[in-house]
Amino acid sequence: MIPFPAGGLARRPSLDEVLARRRVVCCVGSGGVGKTTTAAALAVRFAMAGKRTLVLTIDPARRLANSLGLQSLGNRETRIDPQLFRAAGLAPRGEMYAMMLDLKLTWDELVQRQAPTPERARQILDNRLYQKLSTAMAGSLEYMAMEKVYELNGSGRFDVIVLDTPPTASALDFLHAPARILDVLDNDAMRIVLGPMLKASRIGLKLFALPISLVLRTLARFTGQDFLRDLAQFMVAFEGMYEGFKQRAGQVKRLLSGSEAAFVLVTSPSPLTVEEALFFHRALKTDGIATAAVVVNRVQRDPHRFGGPDAAAALREALQLAQIPDGGNPPISERLSRTLSEQATLADLDRRQVEALSRKLSGVPLYVVPRLRRDVHDLQGLWQIDECLSAAEE
Amino acid sequence: MPPASRDAPPALLDRRLVVVTGKGGTGKSTLSAAIALAAARRGKRVLVCEVSARERVSELLARPASGTQIHELSPNLFSVHVRPAEAMREYALMTLRYETLYRIAFENAAARYFLAAAPSLAEIVMLGKVWWHAARETERGRPRWDLVVLDAPATGHGLTFLTVPEVFLSIVSEGPLARDMRDMQSLLADPARCRTCIVTLPEEMPANEAVELHRALEQHGLPQGALFLNGVFAPRFTPQERTQVARGGPLLAAAADAADAHEARADLSVRYEKLLREAVPLPLLPVPYLFDRSFGAQSVEKVARAIEAAL
Repeated sequence: MIPFPAGGLARRPSLDEVLARRRVVCCVGSGGVGKTTTAAALAVRFAMAGKRTLVLTIDPARRLANSLGLQSLGNRETRIDPQLFRAAGLAPRGEMYAMMLDLKLTWDELVQRQAPTPERARQILDNRLYQKLSTAMAGSLEYMAMEKVYELNGSGRFDVIVLDTPPTASALDFLHAPARILDVLDNDAMRIVLGPMLKASRIGLKLFALPISLVLRTLARFTGQDFLRDLAQFMVAFEGMYEGFKQRAGQVKRLLSGSEAAFVLVTSPSPLTVEEALFFHRALKTDGIATAAVVVNRVQRDPHRFGGPDAAAALREALQLAQIPDGGNPPISERLSRTLSEQATLADLDRRQVEALSRKLSGVPLYVVPRLRRDVHDLQGLWQIDECLSAAEE
Repeated sequence: MPPASRDAPPALLDRRLVVVTGKGGTGKSTLSAAIALAAARRGKRVLVCEVSARERVSELLARPASGTQIHELSPNLFSVHVRPAEAMREYALMTLRYETLYRIAFENAAARYFLAAAPSLAEIVMLGKVWWHAARETERGRPRWDLVVLDAPATGHGLTFLTVPEVFLSIVSEGPLARDMRDMQSLLADPARCRTCIVTLPEEMPANEAVELHRALEQHGLPQGALFLNGVFAPRFTPQERTQVARGGPLLAAAADAADAHEARADLSVRYEKLLREAVPLPLLPVPYLFDRSFGAQSVEKVARAIEAAL
């Protein structure tokens, strides 16, 4: 990481300097802060600079997906048509690909890869509980996003992979989700509890014959026995596969905490998302991962960066000078004055949030993208964001 | 059951349970508080149930956090924080009846792993607790609360939350939990007693998500009440006025920029309101953007005033 002492003594490094030599860039942040757009803009940036780039996204806005010609789901990579770049007046030296993560398919592929035989894979894929667990379990999306990044990175087909992480609101689950999920699957204590159930069907032992059965019986009262039976079958099918899963999860973790990966924190200037960004930053730090950069999207700019009065009376004079009738109800001068004050309030609120964030994340280079006048939903818009990211600090 | 048509007022406040959901950051908690405030003003006893990691409604109304105990925040307006660990314990105790049995089953290391594996058990018990509040009666057999407002989790998770009984019943069909889940399911699906409301913003992603959420709720047979479009900017200048001001020279430069910024957001408001009205056949209630420097009781008050006539 490029040294950047607190207090702004050194110049802020450019985003290109920060992201140079990275092979995996993870955009993290809460939902609705423009994370997908930022990830796509970074991918465009890498492609422009000559890299073979893939952006792996979870749930892109439809207009953005459509305008990039993205197919939905299926874990298939789509090359962004060079024609689209040319139409946007851009001449990338590299290539840009995009893929939408298919959660269920990624799980299935992982099971197929790790299972000793196709029959065992089938047993698991057919299990009713697996079908629910694989898509419904907390952290599942995070686990599979990371798994996919690891697989794609290992394939060597791309110079850089940009990941648009799932919008996790309350917890940063990427690094812990695999361990937690695997812990549930591979747990001696649970095997002991469920043991009688397995044996019961295998060797004809009377169900609940063992002392531990009180626990099981109580749980069964709570959830019914079907669920426990499904769980037991699932665990039998999974037996012997945990080691492989664990090793792979360990490798994923090493990749993400190594120097080839960069975590970019994406936020908007609302107090709620700034608070969450700080939470993400601390969570990453706990895992020994430094936040490489923070991007603040949709920052309102102060209209007063341009000149002119803001009081209604002074505006009335200005209108008069410009020979504009002060018509309408309320008159233009009053509406303008009110609008100026509202927009200045928005800008001031945003500025305070950005300052607070910058103070609390001292040492992390911060890049501001102003609120643009139109929605970003094509390559031209993405490149406009890249230009904002390259702009000098204000 | 068909959702309320646009012509018939939703009479939202006459339900037993109003669920408020939508994408994160759209203002669900503010709307939940405003709906509760509007109901309390009509003399109803209202309980707001919060299920996210942090309480916001008490904070918005500048009152100490309620925690897992019910507290009155303003006249007739109460709130409670439903947390998974406590809800699990209370719920399991209600079901199992014996403390010892609870300890054996739930404070056992193995069982904890089991509980982590059981799909959405945390959501099940939290929803169970909310349902319990909504169904609770006084000694005289009258409902304890005229209205329970559930400030539900954000979209994806919110849908998971509301469809928990359905998912659970597809895996587990016997036992006391399954029985309660069926009761819960019938409350959520009963348009006379319960309505789910969606909160959204005039932006692309939140608007699209609102449309998808509306369809998903419909598919799951969950009756809906209203769509709240929060943070609306009303058009303020005619195109002609903007052109004139933009050409007005340096004295009007800041004013022209402010007018442009305002109208850009007003354009979005108009576009997404139109899109939502076309795609979602629910009463749409616009809530104007508030320029409040800090969000508090007076903000909730403004929102309540903007919507109460339509409730």
